[in-house]
Amino acid sequence: MIKCVIWDLDNTLLDGVYLESGDQPPPVSALGAVLHDLAGRGILHAIASRNPPDAGAYAEQATGHAFAAVVCGWGTKSAAIEAITAELGLTADEVAFVDDDALERAEVAFRLPDVLTLAPQDVPEAAASPSLGAPASTGEARRRGDLYLQRRARLEEARAFGGSREDFLRHCGTRVTIAHAVAADLPRLHELSERTRQFNSTGTPVPEAEFAALLRSADHEVMAVRLADRFGDDGLVGACVIATNPDGWQVRQLMMSCRALGRGVIDALLAWLCRAARAAGSDEIEVTCVISQRNVPLRIALTSAGFRAGDEPEADGASRTALYRRPAGDTLPELPDWVTVPA
Amino acid sequence: MTPGGPAAADLTGEIRLLLAEITRDRAALEAPLGTALLRDGIGLDSLGGTVLLTEIKRRYGVDIADEDLNLDSLASIGTLASYVRARLTFGGPPGGSAARASAAPRSPR
Repeated sequence: MIKCVIWDLDNTLLDGVYLESGDQPPPVSALGAVLHDLAGRGILHAIASRNPPDAGAYAEQATGHAFAAVVCGWGTKSAAIEAITAELGLTADEVAFVDDDALERAEVAFRLPDVLTLAPQDVPEAAASPSLGAPASTGEARRRGDLYLQRRARLEEARAFGGSREDFLRHCGTRVTIAHAVAADLPRLHELSERTRQFNSTGTPVPEAEFAALLRSADHEVMAVRLADRFGDDGLVGACVIATNPDGWQVRQLMMSCRALGRGVIDALLAWLCRAARAAGSDEIEVTCVISQRNVPLRIALTSAGFRAGDEPEADGASRTALYRRPAGDTLPELPDWVTVPA
Repeated sequence: MTPGGPAAADLTGEIRLLLAEITRDRAALEAPLGTALLRDGIGLDSLGGTVLLTEIKRRYGVDIADEDLNLDSLASIGTLASYVRARLTFGGPPGGSAARASAAPRSPR
């Protein structure tokens, strides 16, 4: 699913060449409606252009659209796209790249084969395709553009900040809340199961009805994780489903939005899991995790929190599944002081 | 980067430089080899760790995420350098950027 469209400027988003035009070129009018339509569906826009940095600011002013990331410089387009995906916490197959220059598209297609490359004239048709994202169904999805603008502001401040990551999270007034999910959370829980990849232990979408059944189950807990700081309120960014077996807690589903990446949320959730399991008298905590190239960040977080995978993952058709285990009795990871757990 | 396996000191130095770039902190350049990479050591979080693994795969063709389920190679600067060196020496692709790019990962995708 495409989450971000990365635009070239000269003769793509702008009707002319920025540096060669005496009068600065106006935006291509047909694409303005596309920008607006896609943004309304929760799709981000970014700029990758061979131009001086002020070209990005000009494009924002000319189109009246704020871009989630802007890379203007003289490097390759593939390098610009990699910088943008890293900044936004996206993977290559979640972005589309629009450029009028066939050579630039070929360079990107060669270096980053997972990126969807489009000529400007192909955009209106591609925008009508469901692969570019269904209409946003939850508040969180509709606000994605705003949330990424907050992310951009946060990143700019982080670059200027001298202290540790923990100090920065505290400086931002980070607040993580871990609470029992309620019926009103169901649409967002389903959406997280469908849209998250990098922090998703199963990679399989879970229907709302299944989450509803889990909310009613006496043997399961569904926990919802919310995130906010002084830049904005990200809403419900993560969740986990726990089978509360008295011998050991089994985490059946663990998922987090990539926009919470780098903000201490997954570490906080894993620390809470270990502590809550121990408080419930459980000796061990176990996370079932499909091994894929996509969820490497989750596996790093599990390793970092002291979980260990079984020797041989079970192969089930095309996917491999490993059990990550950790005793709930030894030294437990610290729960940072910005995490709130309502009783 | 010389194809076919850089000298040990060079490889460790390259990895230190990479860590310093990712953490934007020069501490990784001079920290002892036994310094942990995650959490309290070099201070990599899951985002930094992912960038590191991606860059190691791109530069050396070594797909740690796919091969090392427990990511034991991320224990310290030294274990990471040893892991990459061993794979380049004994199990790595023959060398050269084209060969590295085509080294097929054992991916379940």
